[in-house]
Amino acid sequence: MRDGHVIEILESGPFGALDEAKLAEVRAHAESCAGCRRAYEAARVSSLLLRERAEREFEPPPFFQTRVLAALRERQAEQDWALPRLWKAAGALFASMVATVATLGALTFLAPGPTQPEAVAEEVTAEETYSAEESILAQGGGADEEMTYDQVLAAVYESSDGGAR
Amino acid sequence: MELARLARGGDESAFGEIMRRYSPRVFRVASRFFRRREQAEEAAQEIFLKAFTELGSYEGRGSFEGWLTRIATNTCLNILRAQKRRPELTAADLTENEGAWLDNQLSDAAHERHRAAENAVVAADLADRVLGTMSPDDRLALTLVDGEELSVKEVAEMTGWSESKVKVQAFRARRRMRAAVEKLLGR
Repeated sequence: MRDGHVIEILESGPFGALDEAKLAEVRAHAESCAGCRRAYEAARVSSLLLRERAEREFEPPPFFQTRVLAALRERQAEQDWALPRLWKAAGALFASMVATVATLGALTFLAPGPTQPEAVAEEVTAEETYSAEESILAQGGGADEEMTYDQVLAAVYESSDGGAR
Repeated sequence: MELARLARGGDESAFGEIMRRYSPRVFRVASRFFRRREQAEEAAQEIFLKAFTELGSYEGRGSFEGWLTRIATNTCLNILRAQKRRPELTAADLTENEGAWLDNQLSDAAHERHRAAENAVVAADLADRVLGTMSPDDRLALTLVDGEELSVKEVAEMTGWSESKVKVQAFRARRRMRAAVEKLLGR
């Protein structure tokens, strides 16, 4: 009870386990402290509710065992049925993986190889190789002619528009 | 335990005997968690099905009842965790009987209250509704420690929690329940 209130006592353990001395202390303080009185009443009612709740118990109904045994058989039957299916599915998956690997292997070693890198390079069109810088360099006029910033931008946009087309 | 060994080997009648002996215990555990009979029955069935599949883990060191109680408690906790928690209970949600019951607890004649059967039913229902707004762990701690007045050690054995966890859980849950009831009383 560090601050003179009794809430700590109420929270220290089950309300029903508080001894008479502690309860007397709590009640005495609650007389003059509205906050602690509310807390005390709430703790008392909470304890009452929980004890009433604890007294409610259900009994096993008739035929409960029969019902559980039936559910158990059903579940076991499901498992017995599910396991072979799982194995079958796993087998099919494995077979398809083997077939895929074999096909890829055959394609890699038996089929004629793809075009050589040089040939691939040749396929790239000249248009595609132009960069914006090359467009600028290819502009009319001598290399020693200075271009303005606007001219550079116009050339770049023109080249990129041309590329898009 | 001989019955457990036989049941593990697939002897259905041995498992039937286990159910006959321990159904009251399992229903007692399920009753702590579930308000409606059919919910408690479904939970009890699930507990026995789980126990059957886990019979292999029972090594016969502790009591079979203790082992089964722990499975029962954890199965019920898991069922509750899978359910949606109810929103906060406000005074507007109280039934007329529940409101009257709360008022009666605050009246001066509180000492003369008789515990009529219908009052007990109203209180148990109200307790369920308040507990329904709390987390499954809070519910369990409150029900066992404050409701059934079990020791921290007993609750730790039942749940598999450490004793420190039981104490902390009960402390926090107690505080939350008190705050919830305080709101209802101050309506």
